[in-house]
Amino acid sequence: MPILQLTDGMILIRIMNYELTIGWLYPELMSTYGDRGNIIVLQKRCQWRGISVEIKRLDLGFKISDLKKCNLLFMGGAQDRQQQMVAEDLLRKRDDLKKMIENQTPGLYICGAYQFLGKYYKEANGKIINGSGILNLYTENPGENFKRLIGNIIVKLNLNLSQIVVSAPIPYRNYIYDVVGFENHGGKTYLGKGIKPLGKVIKGFGNNGVDKTEGAIYKNSFGSYLHGPILPKNPHFADYLITLALKKKYPPRGKAGKNTIELPRLDDLLEWQAHKAIAKRLAVAI
Amino acid sequence: MFNISLVVLGKFIALVSRILNLGNGSTWPGHVAVSINKNFIKNVLKLNPQLKIILIAGTNGKTTTGKLIQTILEKANYRVFQNESGANLLNGITSSMLLHSNILSTINYDYAIFEVDENTLPLALKEFMPDYLIVLNLFRDQLDRYGEVNTIADKWKQTLKSLPESTTLILNSDDPQVAYLGAQSNPPGRWNRSDTLVFYFGLNDKKFTQTKYQHAVDSTYCPNCSSKLRYHSIYYSHLGDWDCRKCDNKRPKNIFSYPPPSPLTGIYNKYNILAAVLVTKKIGVSDEIIYNSIKTFTPAFGRQEILSVDDKKVQIFLSKNPTSFNESLRTISSLKAKNVLLVLNDRIPDGRDVSWIWDVDFDDYVNDFENIIISGDRCYDLGLRIKYACKFSIFIRQPTDQFPMKNSNFNFQIEEDLKNAIGLSLKRLPKSEVLYILPTYSAMLEVRKILTGKRIL
Repeated sequence: MPILQLTDGMILIRIMNYELTIGWLYPELMSTYGDRGNIIVLQKRCQWRGISVEIKRLDLGFKISDLKKCNLLFMGGAQDRQQQMVAEDLLRKRDDLKKMIENQTPGLYICGAYQFLGKYYKEANGKIINGSGILNLYTENPGENFKRLIGNIIVKLNLNLSQIVVSAPIPYRNYIYDVVGFENHGGKTYLGKGIKPLGKVIKGFGNNGVDKTEGAIYKNSFGSYLHGPILPKNPHFADYLITLALKKKYPPRGKAGKNTIELPRLDDLLEWQAHKAIAKRLAVAI
Repeated sequence: MFNISLVVLGKFIALVSRILNLGNGSTWPGHVAVSINKNFIKNVLKLNPQLKIILIAGTNGKTTTGKLIQTILEKANYRVFQNESGANLLNGITSSMLLHSNILSTINYDYAIFEVDENTLPLALKEFMPDYLIVLNLFRDQLDRYGEVNTIADKWKQTLKSLPESTTLILNSDDPQVAYLGAQSNPPGRWNRSDTLVFYFGLNDKKFTQTKYQHAVDSTYCPNCSSKLRYHSIYYSHLGDWDCRKCDNKRPKNIFSYPPPSPLTGIYNKYNILAAVLVTKKIGVSDEIIYNSIKTFTPAFGRQEILSVDDKKVQIFLSKNPTSFNESLRTISSLKAKNVLLVLNDRIPDGRDVSWIWDVDFDDYVNDFENIIISGDRCYDLGLRIKYACKFSIFIRQPTDQFPMKNSNFNFQIEEDLKNAIGLSLKRLPKSEVLYILPTYSAMLEVRKILTGKRIL
């Protein structure tokens, strides 16, 4: 179906003959606070460009063959009881997930999912919960007597987005270097060697409230504490994930091999207005 | 002696704030009293053994249920007072006791109805033992303030263990975690309670059944053994006729399920009505009085309240979390709503994180509306949510920096200033239609203030 967008006065008609399969890990259990908004945004932003999308719901007991069919992965956060159920299931498939991550399969892992990619999670009473050990990081929860890390947050992205077309209207162009969201976690995450942070905290707490890092990047996998959910107000990051998935699935042919997948611009005025509203809230001048 | 001066002080504070129109002093007096004498509540209650307390706990429906009960009891000639709606933390309860006692700390009333929010229930039960405890439901609401649903349910179960046999429990059988609070038990360490003191209400009518799960569903796992629950009927969110596949936990058998007719719409209100009817029956009010009161009931402010503004009709449906938003949308859709004003704030009573709006099933409803205006502190977030809920992907925008946005289905517009948004909505409203306003809690107070020129809390 041809998609029509009116952007800055121009009519842009492009049809992209691509297909993507998005794997949503544990949608029933790990979907606590608006996380499905990330799936909605990825799906719609593809559909608006004529990219057809299949969402594979990978619930408890899912088949590994289904996981392997996915071009882009997403997993959200959950309450403790649910997280424990998921951990048991996912640990059984951990090797396959690790292979995909090492193989550059793009993925977004929020809050509990992000923590689970790490080596372990240490509770206040000292109990250690094993993570999948895929990423070199760990999380410690100091317990109820310590303040949770809660609030709106703005982070300077550790990514070079110039490779993708960013559709911010001119008054909002400066905001493409950051992401905004809302964090709410008791666990404090510490990154080990080889893991870049997703970004540097401009205002907010981030991974642990001390070292000013937020989230993690490893190959094409991104972990973060940002709710919001993260993608609606950060369309550049959503498009970045989509582009990564397309580039991996449709590699360039021939020898010269420059990967020229370019997403057509969408009308993102509303996304950036919402993004800027949070930046203003945090009294951050960009 | 000391308490007398506290009562006087409390009344003075309330009076001052009323005169200066600073809200109606519903939490300050209590705050002051409790900071001076932390046993204030216990002391006053000791002096008033004739006063019976009805405590209402739950995420959604407390205010409506409280008002229903008050209406019924007053028709039966009892003297009743309540804590101000929304002021349901301990300060609010204390304040309402202050306001309703005389100088000698005597409270000349028969019944006090207190609504408590999720976190206050355990604290309240440390201060007094209610004669009736109603638990309506447990949904996700403001995770940033209350922590997780499971934690709250566990806390409640612990707290309820301390309830004396003189407290009658009135529980929603259709909410698995709530029903579990009344579980009879033999294994040691769990709680044994006489059959005669736990009563259940729930729905039993196929015509209220929903066919698909709403997204933001919380307790679909068995509170006893954590396996997935099975539903024979779903009424709304995670409420329905449930049982567990693995253990023998299931919806209680003996439930009161005949809601008498009322002007309140929405499945969620059937539960509120059932709770109110059940407790007043147990108190001994005659069926005739109960049913008449329900039939002629007028809703509390902000909850389906119908206001007449400039010759036009406006109805407000408080929508403060995914479940109540879904139910508001479902209800106004059944009323063929065409003109809607959505207002999203993120102040302390609303919850600072608005991620939850993505758990509301807007997609099922917005495409049937004609005019949507969006306002509030977080109007852009909500606008974004609505944009992604549109069925058709054709957006036509004027090539300027402004909205409105039109798609082939409906108009939607964002207006930051609430007064302007209300003005615009009313201007656009045809005389024959109703304007439906769906605000979060603080937005609801603001909307009402603008519409009626009076501050409520």
